[in-house]
Amino acid sequence: MIQALAFYLFAAVTVASGVMVISSRNPVHSVLFLILAFFNAAALFVLLGAEFLAMILIVVYVGAVAVLFLFVVMMLDINFVELRQGFARYLPIGAAIGLVLLAEIFLAVGAWTVIPVTADSSITPIPPMNEVTNTHALGALIYTHYVYLFQTAGLILLVAMIGAIVLTLRSRSDVKRQSVDEQNARRPEDVVEVVKVGRGGGV
Amino acid sequence: MNAVTSLPVMMPASAEIFLAIAGMVLLMIGVFRGESSLRFLSYATIATFAVAAILVVTQGGGGEAFYGLFVSEGFAQFAKILILIGSAFAVLLSRDYLVREQAGRFEFPILILFATLGMLMMVSANDLMSLYMSLELQSLSLYVMASIRRDTLKATEAGLKYFVLGALSSGMLLYGCSMIYGFAGTTSFTGLAAVFAAQTGVVPLGLVIGIVFLIAGLAFKVSAVPFHMWTPDVYEGAPTPVTALFAVAPKIAALALFVRAMMDPFADLIGSWQQVLVFVSIASMGLGALGALVQTNIKRLMAYSSIGHMGYLLVGIAAGNQAGVTGVMLYLATYIFMNVGTFAMILAMRRDGRLVEEIGDLAGLSKTHPMMALALMIFMFSMAGIPPLAGFFGKWYVFMAAVDAGLFGLAVIGILTSVIGAFYYLRIIKIMYFDEATQPLDDAVSQDLRVILYGSAVVTVLFVLFISPVYDAAKVAAISLVGA
Amino acid sequence: MLTAIVFLPLLGAIIAGFFGRQIGDRGAQIVTCGAMGISAILGVIAFIEVALGGEPRTVRLMNWISSGTFEVDWALRFDTLTAVMVIVVTVVSTCVHVYSVGYMSHDASKPRFMAYLSLFTFAMLMLVTADNLVQLFFGWEGVGLASYLLIGFWFHKPTANAASIKAFVVNRVGDFGFALGIFGVYMLFDSVQFDVIFAAAPDVAGQTMEFLGFQWDALTIVSILLFIGAMGKSAQLGLHTWLPDAMEGPTPVSALIHAATMVTAGVFLVARMSPMMEYAPTALEVVTVVGALTAFFAATIGVCQTDIKRVIAYSTCSQLGYMFFALGVGAYPAAIFHLMTHAFFKALLFLSAGSVIHAIHDEQDMRNMGGLWRKIPYTYAMMWIGSLALAGIPFFAGYYSKDIMLEAAFGAHSAVGTFAFWMGIAAAVLTAFYSWRLLYLTFHGTPRMDQHTFDHAHESPPVMMGPLVVLAIGAIFSGFVGYEHFVGDGEAAFWGASILMLAREGGENILEMAHHVPTWVKLLPFVMGLIGIGVATLAYVLRPGIPAATAKAVRPLYLFLLNKWYFDEAYDWLFVKRSWQLGQIFWRHGDQSFIDGFGPDGIASMARALAGRASALQSGYVYHYAFAMLIGVSALISWYIVFGG
Repeated sequence: MIQALAFYLFAAVTVASGVMVISSRNPVHSVLFLILAFFNAAALFVLLGAEFLAMILIVVYVGAVAVLFLFVVMMLDINFVELRQGFARYLPIGAAIGLVLLAEIFLAVGAWTVIPVTADSSITPIPPMNEVTNTHALGALIYTHYVYLFQTAGLILLVAMIGAIVLTLRSRSDVKRQSVDEQNARRPEDVVEVVKVGRGGGV
Repeated sequence: MNAVTSLPVMMPASAEIFLAIAGMVLLMIGVFRGESSLRFLSYATIATFAVAAILVVTQGGGGEAFYGLFVSEGFAQFAKILILIGSAFAVLLSRDYLVREQAGRFEFPILILFATLGMLMMVSANDLMSLYMSLELQSLSLYVMASIRRDTLKATEAGLKYFVLGALSSGMLLYGCSMIYGFAGTTSFTGLAAVFAAQTGVVPLGLVIGIVFLIAGLAFKVSAVPFHMWTPDVYEGAPTPVTALFAVAPKIAALALFVRAMMDPFADLIGSWQQVLVFVSIASMGLGALGALVQTNIKRLMAYSSIGHMGYLLVGIAAGNQAGVTGVMLYLATYIFMNVGTFAMILAMRRDGRLVEEIGDLAGLSKTHPMMALALMIFMFSMAGIPPLAGFFGKWYVFMAAVDAGLFGLAVIGILTSVIGAFYYLRIIKIMYFDEATQPLDDAVSQDLRVILYGSAVVTVLFVLFISPVYDAAKVAAISLVGA
Repeated sequence: MLTAIVFLPLLGAIIAGFFGRQIGDRGAQIVTCGAMGISAILGVIAFIEVALGGEPRTVRLMNWISSGTFEVDWALRFDTLTAVMVIVVTVVSTCVHVYSVGYMSHDASKPRFMAYLSLFTFAMLMLVTADNLVQLFFGWEGVGLASYLLIGFWFHKPTANAASIKAFVVNRVGDFGFALGIFGVYMLFDSVQFDVIFAAAPDVAGQTMEFLGFQWDALTIVSILLFIGAMGKSAQLGLHTWLPDAMEGPTPVSALIHAATMVTAGVFLVARMSPMMEYAPTALEVVTVVGALTAFFAATIGVCQTDIKRVIAYSTCSQLGYMFFALGVGAYPAAIFHLMTHAFFKALLFLSAGSVIHAIHDEQDMRNMGGLWRKIPYTYAMMWIGSLALAGIPFFAGYYSKDIMLEAAFGAHSAVGTFAFWMGIAAAVLTAFYSWRLLYLTFHGTPRMDQHTFDHAHESPPVMMGPLVVLAIGAIFSGFVGYEHFVGDGEAAFWGASILMLAREGGENILEMAHHVPTWVKLLPFVMGLIGIGVATLAYVLRPGIPAATAKAVRPLYLFLLNKWYFDEAYDWLFVKRSWQLGQIFWRHGDQSFIDGFGPDGIASMARALAGRASALQSGYVYHYAFAMLIGVSALISWYIVFGG
C-alpha cells in the first residue's frame, strides 16, 4: 500500500518535472527540473530494489552530467526564445504525426499478446534478490556476459574523445601560454642588459 | 546466476580484436609523433586492414563468440572482405587530399580504422544490443569525419546535420529494438529466430511496429527513401575522400546488417516486412533516378546515384530468398569498384590546384585527358548497368531474384528506373566527349589516384571474366546465412 | 576455273578496297586490272568450252538457305546464255578497268574507284551465273549497290548524290515487283531453282491465282512482276528516269554499268526465264509494247539533248527498248545478240565520249564543243565506228543485230509485233540522226569553247586508247562473226537448252520466220539509217540554221522533248511531293506529337518535372529532414495497419 502510494508519488513528480524541463522558459530552471526528475527516478529504482542503479543515477547523472549541463547552459549565451521560433508553425504537422504514432502504439499495446515461448524466457533472467546482490548481478552481466558490449562502449567513448579533440582543440597563436621549461631556462645574462647611461642623454 | 570463470570464445572475432588493438596503438603513435606521422599512419592503417582481412579469411567456418553476441560465418566474412577493401581504398584516396588541402590530421586514418571496426562488428552482430553498439561506433566515427575540416562551413554543417539526424534514427532504432524485446522477450537473433519459428497465428501489431522502426533506423544508414534526406547534403558538404568512404564501406556494412537482420531473426515474419521493403526500395530507386537528373554537383549526383543503388540492393533483400542475398553480395562486390573509381576521378578534378565539383567542369575531358575520360565512361556505363560491365551483373542477379520471389512489379519498376537513371550517367559521358572545354583540368594527378582510377576501371571491365568465382563465393556466403 | 571467273573480281575489290592505303594507287590498279584480265581470259575459255563446245555445267558451291521445302544453294550455272553474258561482262569490264587507270588519273581516291568497279563486276557475274532466282536477286541488288556507290562516287557533288539516290529508289520500285515475282514463282513451283521451274512451267501454264482481289493467269502475273523488275534495272519506259541522271558518275562507270552490263540485266532476266515466259503470251505482249514504246520515246528525247553523255544515255535506253521488243516477240537470241553487240559499240561510244571530255577538261555540253576532229583524230575515228555500228550501217555489228530484231518483230505477224516494227523503224531514223548530230556538234564546225581549252585539247594516253581499240574491234566484227551462231542456222546447236522458243504456226520458230520476211523489210532499217544521217548532215553541216528554225517553229514539241516528256516533273508532282506530304503528316502528327509526345519525350519531360520536385524537397533544413523521416515511419506503420496482414 505504502509502496504503491510512493510509486505513484515519485512517478507523478518525475513526469511533471519532465514536462517542466521542456516547457520552462529559463534554461537554468530546465536543468534544475531535470535534476529533480533524476532524483525521483532514483527513488523509483529504490522501490524496485535496484539500489545500485539508484545510487549510480544520482552520482553520475546528478553529480556529473546535470552539473555539466548547468555549466554549459550558464556559460553559453543561448537565446531560447529565438530557438523556439517556428515552433508554432510546425506544431500542427508535428502534433499530427505525434498523434498518429501515439494512436498506433496504443493500438499495439491494446492488442498486446505475449508470444507463449517468450513468456518463459522473459521471467528467468532476474535471479532471486536474496541470493545475488544487485551489484554482483550487474557486474556478472556487464563484465562477463556482455563484455563484448562493454568493450564496444569503451571504444565508442574513445572515438567520442578523439572526435571532441579533433573538432575542438586548436592551438591558438594569439593566446599567451605559460611555458615552464622556458621560464626555468631563462638566465639573467640573456635578458638583462646593463647600460651605462650618459649624462644628459636618454637610454 | 553462476559465476563464470572461463574466458569467452573469442577466435571468430580475431580480426575485430586485432583492429581494436592496432587502432589504439596507432593512435598512441600518432599522438606522440604528431602530424608528421600521417603518411606512416595511412600506410599502417592499410597494412592493418590487410592483416585483418587475412585473419578473416583464415578463421575458417567461424562461429559464435562472446556468448552469442557476435557471429562470424561465410556471409560475414564475405562482407568483411568487401568492407576492408572499401576502407583501404578510402584511406588511399584521402592521403593525397589531406596533404594537398593542408588538412593533414593524423586522426583521420585512425577514425577510418575505428569506423571500419564498427562496420565489421555490425556485420557480425548477432544481438539487437551488439547491433546498436556497433552501429554507434561506426556512426560516431563518421560524424566526426564528416566535419573534420572544421574550418569550412559546409563540412561542419554536413557533420552536424548528419549527427542530429543520425541521433534521431538511432532513437527510432532503439525504440524498435525495445518494442521487439518487449514482444519477443529476447534480444538475441538466435533466440528471436527460435521464438518466431515456434510462433503461429497472427503476428502481434506491436512487433510489426518494432520491426518497422528497426527498418527505419537501418534504412537511414543505407540512405533509403524516405530516410535519405541527409545524403545529398552530407555527400556534398563532407570532404571528398570522406564522401568516398561514406559511399562505399558503411553502405556495405549497413546493407549486410540489414540482410542479416531481415533474414536471420525475422526470416519467418517475411510477410510483415516484405511490403515495407518493397515500398522503400521502389521509392529509393525512383528518387535516386529522378533526383539525379537535375544535379549539377557531381558529389550530389553521386549521392542520388547511391540512393538509387541502395534501392536496387533492397530489391534483393525484399526478394527474401537465397538468390536475393547472393545478388546483393555480388552487387556490393561490383559496387565498390565503380564507386571508388568514380571518386578517384572526382578527387582528380582539379583546376589551378583547387578541387572542382561541377559536372560542367568535365567538359572536353576526352580531349585533354583521354584515359581518365575513358575510365570515367567505364564507371558510368557500369553504374547504368550496361553489359558486359560489372554493374550489369549485380542488377541482373538482384532482379532475377525478385522475379523468382514473384515480385514482378518490383523488377519491372527497377528496370524502368534504371533506364531513367541511365540518362544522367550518359549525360556525364556526353559532357566529357561532346562538349567543348572552357579550361582544361590540371594535369598533375597523384600516383595513388591514377592507380586506383585505372585499376578500378580494369576490374570493372574484366569483372565479366571472374563472374563465376565471385558468384560462387557470394552464393556460399548467402547459403551460410539463409540456407540453400 | 568457273569459280575463279566470278570470285577473282571480288578478291580484287577486297584487296583494293580494304588495303588500298597499303598497296597505293598503282598497286590497287594493278591488282584489280590483273584480276579482271585473268577473269576475262578464263571467261573466253569458258565460252569456248561451254557455248561452242556445247557443255553446259553447274558448279555447286554450298548450301545457302534450307528451310522446309525452301532450298537455296550458292551455285554457278554455266550454259550458253551465261557464257555469252560472262564474256561480255568480263571483256568490257576489263577494258573499262584499264581505261579508268587513265581516265581517273587526276582523282584522289583511285583505289576506292577500282574496288567499286571490281565489286560491281563480281555482283554482275553473280547475277548472270545464278542458278536460282534468290541468288540472281543477290547479284541484282549487288549491282544496284555498286551502281549507287559509283554514281555517287564524287559524293561532294550534290547532283551526284541526288542522282545516286534517285537511281537506287527508282530501282527499288522495280525490285519490289521482282521480289513479288520471286514469291509468286515460289508459290507456283514450290522452288526457286531454275531447273525445277523450267521443267514444271508447261504444267503450270493455265493455272490461275488471286492477285489484288482478281483471278489472273498465274504465269502471266508472275512474268509481268518479274518484268517490272527488269524494267527498273533496264530503264524501260516509266522507270527510265534514273538512267540519264546516272550520267553524273564518272564516264567509265557510265560505259560499264549504264550501257554495257547492268542495264542489260533485265534483258538477261527475261531471256533466262524464257522457258517460263514462253507460256505466258500475254506477258510477252506487254514486254513488246513497253519495249517498242521505250525505243521510240528515248530516241525522240535523244534528238534534243545537249549533254554528250545524256545523248548516249537516251540512246542506250532506246536500244534496250529494241531488245525488249525482240524478247517480247520471242526472239530471245536476237535480243541477246544485240545485247552483245550493243555492249561493244555503246561502251565504245561512252569511252570515246569520255576521251573527248577528258581532252577538253570535263566539259560535257556539246554546245561548247566543235571542231575537235583535228585535235583528237583517233577518238574521232572511234566515235565514227561506234556511231556506224549504232546506226546499223552494213557490216558493222549493229547492222546484224538490229536487223534481225526488226525482222523478228515483223515476222511475228502479230499486232504488237507490227507495232514494234514500225516503232523500231522510226527510232532507227532518229538514232542515226542524233548520232550524227552528236558527231557534227562535237567534232565539226567552229570551236565553241574558249581558245585556251581548245589549244590544250589533247589526245588521250595509250592506256585509254587501248581499250577503245579492243572495243572498236568488237563493234566492227562481233556482229559479222556471231551472226551464224546467235541467230543464224547454227542457233539451235549454239543455245542448246538455255533458251526456249516454242514453235509458232507453221512449225517454224520465230527466228526462222524472221529470215523469211520480204526483202524491203530487210533493207528498210538501212535506208532509214541513211536518211537519218542525211538529215543530220543537212541540218548541222550544210544548213546550220535549220535546227534553231525548226525548234522555233514547233516550239511546244521541242520543249516537250527537251524536258524529256515531262516524266521527271510528273513523277515529282505525283509521287515525290505526295509521299513528302504523307511523310510530313506522319512525322509531325504521328511521330512527333503522338509517339514522341506520349513516348520518349513525354516520359522524359515528366521525369524532368518529377526530378525538379524531388530536389525541391531537399530544402537543407534539418527539421524538414527529421519530419520526413517521422512521416515516413508513421506512414509505413499506418499503411501496414490499414492494408497489412
